[in-house]
Amino acid sequence: MSSCGNPDSSEADALMPRRLKYGRSRDCVRCREKPGNIVIRHAVYCRDCFSPLVTLKFRKALQPSINASAGTSKRPRLKADGNLLMAFSGGLGSSLLLDIVHRIYFSNESVLNENEEPVGGKNHPRNADVWPSATVCYVEVCNAFPGMRDSTEELRTVVSQYPCFEYVATRIEDAFDRSWWLRVGGLPSFSQLSVDIGNPTSCDLSIISALFTPAERSPTDCLLAYLSSLPTQTAISTAIQTFIRILTLYTARSRGASHLLLGTSLTSLSISLISSISQGGGYTTREELQEEWTQSGIGSTEIAPTIRIVRPLRDVTMKECAAYARWNNITVVGKQRVPATTQGIHSLTKDFIVGLEKDYPSTVSTIARTCAKLAPKDAPKGSCLLCQRPMQHDIQEWKNRISIRSFGEAKLASDLHTPPNPHNNMPPPPLSSQSIDQTLSLTPHLCYSCHTTLTSRSSRGLKSTGSLPVPLPVWVSPPLLDSARVVNPDEDRGEVFQNRQPMRDAIAEYLLES
Amino acid sequence: MSSDTLTLKVEFGGGLELLFSNKRIRDVTIPAFVPGDSSVPSPESESIQPTSLKQADVTFLLHYLREKHLTDRPELFMEKDTVRPGILVLINDTDWELEGEGDYVLKDKDEIVLISTLHGG
Repeated sequence: MSSCGNPDSSEADALMPRRLKYGRSRDCVRCREKPGNIVIRHAVYCRDCFSPLVTLKFRKALQPSINASAGTSKRPRLKADGNLLMAFSGGLGSSLLLDIVHRIYFSNESVLNENEEPVGGKNHPRNADVWPSATVCYVEVCNAFPGMRDSTEELRTVVSQYPCFEYVATRIEDAFDRSWWLRVGGLPSFSQLSVDIGNPTSCDLSIISALFTPAERSPTDCLLAYLSSLPTQTAISTAIQTFIRILTLYTARSRGASHLLLGTSLTSLSISLISSISQGGGYTTREELQEEWTQSGIGSTEIAPTIRIVRPLRDVTMKECAAYARWNNITVVGKQRVPATTQGIHSLTKDFIVGLEKDYPSTVSTIARTCAKLAPKDAPKGSCLLCQRPMQHDIQEWKNRISIRSFGEAKLASDLHTPPNPHNNMPPPPLSSQSIDQTLSLTPHLCYSCHTTLTSRSSRGLKSTGSLPVPLPVWVSPPLLDSARVVNPDEDRGEVFQNRQPMRDAIAEYLLES
Repeated sequence: MSSDTLTLKVEFGGGLELLFSNKRIRDVTIPAFVPGDSSVPSPESESIQPTSLKQADVTFLLHYLREKHLTDRPELFMEKDTVRPGILVLINDTDWELEGEGDYVLKDKDEIVLISTLHGG
């Protein structure tokens, strides 16, 4: 009888011949003259044909989104409604983004034909101003993790190569900074809203509200308290990504931008899609690909401008980006590795997709193409207060049906062990007054993904932060308080309007004294 | 250069230089003939048997760089006998997939570029 075990080790050398990663010829598939320099999804390109190919993919992905309405012309004149903001991390994709946008839309280097007329016609983006101005926004995250260096000035030097771009640096702790929030035009709020994330007995996120005082915690302390309260590495990584996204969006809005461009390559996009879906973000798969963002605010009657978030490199793989940067002398500073998130879902997905791309480069493209066909079944209920993306109807009812939402006290006592929290030795918030509103909860205002991120604990052990209230980002408070007023319009508006003096103290620096 | 050694120009990019003492470009001299298993002989090791020799190829160069020049986190540079996924290798400005990847036999004065693509969007 033949064995079903492992094959004989002596046959280990009998390997299948390795399959070539390109077609029959080593010559460029485009010009068919020059020897190839790079293999892109089994097709060979020479160096001269490769760069125009990348810029063509870039323009094809971006230009249909520039004009507010599609119009009827096949080649309409490109004119955006507002300014341009580009997110810049110093990484490969965003470095390419800056360079290509500068070359195509801002260099003003007209190419003339033999009659000294501009090549491409007057509507060609090279010959017409598409955006009045362009800003480059960088979000510095070094204060979130010890040991990271501040790259603000290094990136300023990189951006200074492009004189028509203005450089704006924000910091990740600005997510908890009221002065930044007011600078970018956010609605004022006089309450510091905190949430009880650390309560392991319930998945409900009760709001703890308190008035701001002059001696409030610094934004960095709030950021660290927020991150340390998160239950998993995945949650920390997701929180950082969400904060960067929202900070960039509000910066874009304050700059009058109609378009926000991201340097997400095809590979990064596939990683984001798989990672987002695996964290419960399937409902916003379309937003992960392309998004139109309007500031959410319950009860707000003002029509906020819409910002289109576009990823012009969504058809360009990381390999193409690297080769383009090399052959066009683009400076890539490199993005620092964020510690403490290496075992998160995003990081593990990245390892998987990058490994997949090496042997099966077309599969990575298939992920993005397949996800582009997905659409949610129902219209959204509104926007999630934390990530400001569309939110599904009846999430909590569904979640109640499929999951255990609370533990019995006896089981809790036997199961829980509270590990020491490094931030527990921080001084408690010096609040002038504190009230716990049992009726106000963050839970109904969160999408499935954000709620799961905040409450889903690691299976490798429960992490509890005790009862220290965790501050919420500044953009969450105004619409949440508005929602409370909408629900109870006849009730007193709480401590916010009980006493005008603390309110006046809180906004003193913004008041014009007569 | 003597005929039994090759002098190569090796360049790192995309943050990979951080693993190599933050030096982007370096000239590397390697033997023209190397052990068949691409192991890097130590100076005090006995002479290699002629039957186990092969011409120096890119696989040997990767092992050589890891043994002699890498200063930090080898797992971010190599996986098994090749570079980690996400590192683009150019041989004389041409994708190494067109040149036979690790089996490419090195010539004197070849330029090898290693670029990490993993440093974000």
